[in-house]
Amino acid sequence: MTSPTLLNSCAYAATSAEARFRITGRPRVQRATRVIALDAGAGDVVRRLAAMPWPGVRFLCYEPDGRERAELVLTRVDGQQVWLCGELADADFAMMVATDDDGAAVAAAIGEACTKRGIMTAGLIVGDGSQARAAVTALRPYARVLLTSPDEDDAEAMLSAVG
Amino acid sequence: MLRQELNELLTQTGPGTPMGELFRQYWIPALLAEELPENGCPPVRVKLLSERMVAIRDSEGRYGLLDEFCAHRGASLWFGNNEDGGLRCAYHGWKYDVTGQCLDVPSEPENSTFSNKVQLTAYPLIKVGDILWTHLGDPARRPAPPEFEFVHVPSEQTYTSKRWQECNWLQALEGGIDSSHVSWLHSAGLRNDPLFKGSKGNEYNLADMRPFFEVVDSEGGLFVGVRRNAEAGQYYWRITPWVMPSFTMVPPRADHPVHGHLWVPIDDENCWVYTFDYAATRALTPDELQAMKDGHGVHNEYEPGTYRPLQNRDNDYLMDRDAQRRGDTFSGIKGIAMQDASLQESMGPIVDRTKERLVSADSGIIKARRKLMRAALALRDEGVAPPGVDPAHHRVRSAAIVLPQQDSFLDACRDAVAATPGVGHSSV
Repeated sequence: MTSPTLLNSCAYAATSAEARFRITGRPRVQRATRVIALDAGAGDVVRRLAAMPWPGVRFLCYEPDGRERAELVLTRVDGQQVWLCGELADADFAMMVATDDDGAAVAAAIGEACTKRGIMTAGLIVGDGSQARAAVTALRPYARVLLTSPDEDDAEAMLSAVG
Repeated sequence: MLRQELNELLTQTGPGTPMGELFRQYWIPALLAEELPENGCPPVRVKLLSERMVAIRDSEGRYGLLDEFCAHRGASLWFGNNEDGGLRCAYHGWKYDVTGQCLDVPSEPENSTFSNKVQLTAYPLIKVGDILWTHLGDPARRPAPPEFEFVHVPSEQTYTSKRWQECNWLQALEGGIDSSHVSWLHSAGLRNDPLFKGSKGNEYNLADMRPFFEVVDSEGGLFVGVRRNAEAGQYYWRITPWVMPSFTMVPPRADHPVHGHLWVPIDDENCWVYTFDYAATRALTPDELQAMKDGHGVHNEYEPGTYRPLQNRDNDYLMDRDAQRRGDTFSGIKGIAMQDASLQESMGPIVDRTKERLVSADSGIIKARRKLMRAALALRDEGVAPPGVDPAHHRVRSAAIVLPQQDSFLDACRDAVAATPGVGHSSV
């Protein structure tokens, strides 16, 4: 004997008519995201991204100045220099952006700091060819998710989806 | 008749509608306690006031009513696993507690705090009597829990069932306020139903088919008094309380348990009918309880394993024309509950009240609509709490009584219509 179709049965609940009846308002999901450019090419990508409104997202670049420091220093897109540990204090997602393997050492420092703090990491490699392949190799140990794309629009798409 | 815009105002109960906001001021039944029978039992899909949710009873016995859909990809949490203090989505394992707080996002690193930042909309779910009640409104305006007598008498004195009715809540409620149909539609039930038959009041009911009506305001809604001729110089009164927005009680008959209803909108074209029977001062007998479970009185039989009535619109409510011809039933439909439901559903999903022609005997309905409209607009425009929110308004009863013709029914019955613990119903 087949079961009758009832209001709370899947056959009814999964119809387009029933799809109207969602609770008003989206679930509250507040990400605190840091987008970090690991090299000069990535810095250009991140600055273009930062020109758009992104609630809860901070944009940072690694810009080596040749000085020795105990901890990694990053530069916000407004030029302010900040410590990595301060930027990660209340973060739960770090997206590293690279265009080559120049930032391998920085990725290691960020990846280890994130692991210690339980922060989700992702690596976005913008470009193709040998430079991108080298960047993938450099980031692989430190990013839980890696995405390679010749199209920097993918950075925006990823940030829209998870930021 | 009612203008179309007023009909829409009264019948639409989704989020943001005036009547929807009115309903969101009250504790309303969400499901029967038997639907979540033990800690860690499977979740249940619940739709109320056009919002879809899942009800859970977690491993610690806490109840909750959550947005049905996972914050991650929007999959239904009805498929989820109820485990260790929360409901885990079957798709990717996101886990929520009874408050909607996310407890775990397995794709995140082990010591991630991201789950703390994910929160589903959730509503309270409390057990009072055999019903799990919820309040879908502003927590700052949440009233004290319901105090209807049938949910506060000892469990052996009360029984509650529910059924799905496939029409708007208001046309169903109006059947509970309209006493004049009883002498017609339910005439056979008065003679034959084990939970109705044998009272002196039934004789008055059946002997006088042209009753008179008096409708008076109460703090929580209305008292609808219906009088019929009794012995010389006396009237037989049946008094039905309506507590806003949708509680009614049927006046008692002899020592039978007393019954009533709560109509709860599922969406604008469906409602739940919660039906109760209780005795104020004694346990229900095994025979009474069995009769209720068998669908007698104001209860009904079910499609097996569901809350859909066995008699429903897909089978013409098992219409029996021979029984109608013989006079075994007036409408050909078996059972008081389904006699009501069949005719109320026959009006369509939302009855077009611009085409109706009410009569003076419908004064209870007219007054109830007026009160609902006024309350909904006062809430919307001035934030005024509607009648029936205060639990003190719930402490009312129906009554049946024979009075001298000159007596005012409400003056004579003030004690009889107050729910007083340990005092039996006034019945004929």
